[in-house]
Amino acid sequence: MADGDGRDHRDPERTQAVYDEIADHFAETRAYPWPEVEAFLDGVDGAGVALDIGCGNGRHTALLADCAERAVGFDISRELLATASGRMAEDGWRADLLQGDAATLPLRSECVDVAVYVATVHHLPDRESRVASLRELARVLDGRALVSAWSTAHDRFEAHGGSEPEGFDTTVDWTLPGGETVERFYHIYAPEEFEADLRAAGLSVAEAFVSSGNCYAEVSA
Amino acid sequence: MQEDLLDILCCPLDKHDLELEATERDEEEILTGTLTCTECGEAYPIEDGIPNLLPPDMREESPA
Repeated sequence: MADGDGRDHRDPERTQAVYDEIADHFAETRAYPWPEVEAFLDGVDGAGVALDIGCGNGRHTALLADCAERAVGFDISRELLATASGRMAEDGWRADLLQGDAATLPLRSECVDVAVYVATVHHLPDRESRVASLRELARVLDGRALVSAWSTAHDRFEAHGGSEPEGFDTTVDWTLPGGETVERFYHIYAPEEFEADLRAAGLSVAEAFVSSGNCYAEVSA
Repeated sequence: MQEDLLDILCCPLDKHDLELEATERDEEEILTGTLTCTECGEAYPIEDGIPNLLPPDMREESPA
């Protein structure tokens, strides 16, 4: 499948362009942190470095800024990072923002005490790059992380599911206020497959669960 | 970005140290500059205070 520019819809550069395009509207609709992330961070205090991979508008980076000396918001989309920067100025918290690709983190090994990597790894184009990205998380992590991805258990994917659902690739439209739709690539994870990819990346899974149609796992390196 | 962010940053390609060249500062913040890998020599721009550490093949050459 290719878009008008002839780019494959899985191409990370296309994902980058899509989020650059929808950034303002996307950020507006992502006002609140997820309760699963709040629960994970409950009790975390005094961390050195906290990392938010796929930080988007920074709704979870703001929580990290509260419990760590240094919070880092990392995203592929410069336009989304600009929304995070605006939110930071408005709400009075501070984080370092970085643009990069989740498959090759520009951070030193074992420098991160706590990380959230939510609703992002499912945008990476194939299993190889998803596991490579999780391996990068394992490399930089010297503490705990919460990872999430969209799950086959979500109501939306019932037609694909059944009692033993398998993960699959799909595209999901984002509809802009003017009615224009933009396709985003997703790999929808079966819960067993999600855990298998985490383990293949060298992460230890302390706890895995499905919540609100997402696979979650608390991991350490 | 703040200068001490360099303590945790590295080249996304070979994970070696980066060298900072700041061209515009606002007190502690570096607004514009370049981060250059001390090993492979790849240069990464800092624009509007945000380092762009995308691998070079994913970097847009001109702003949208």
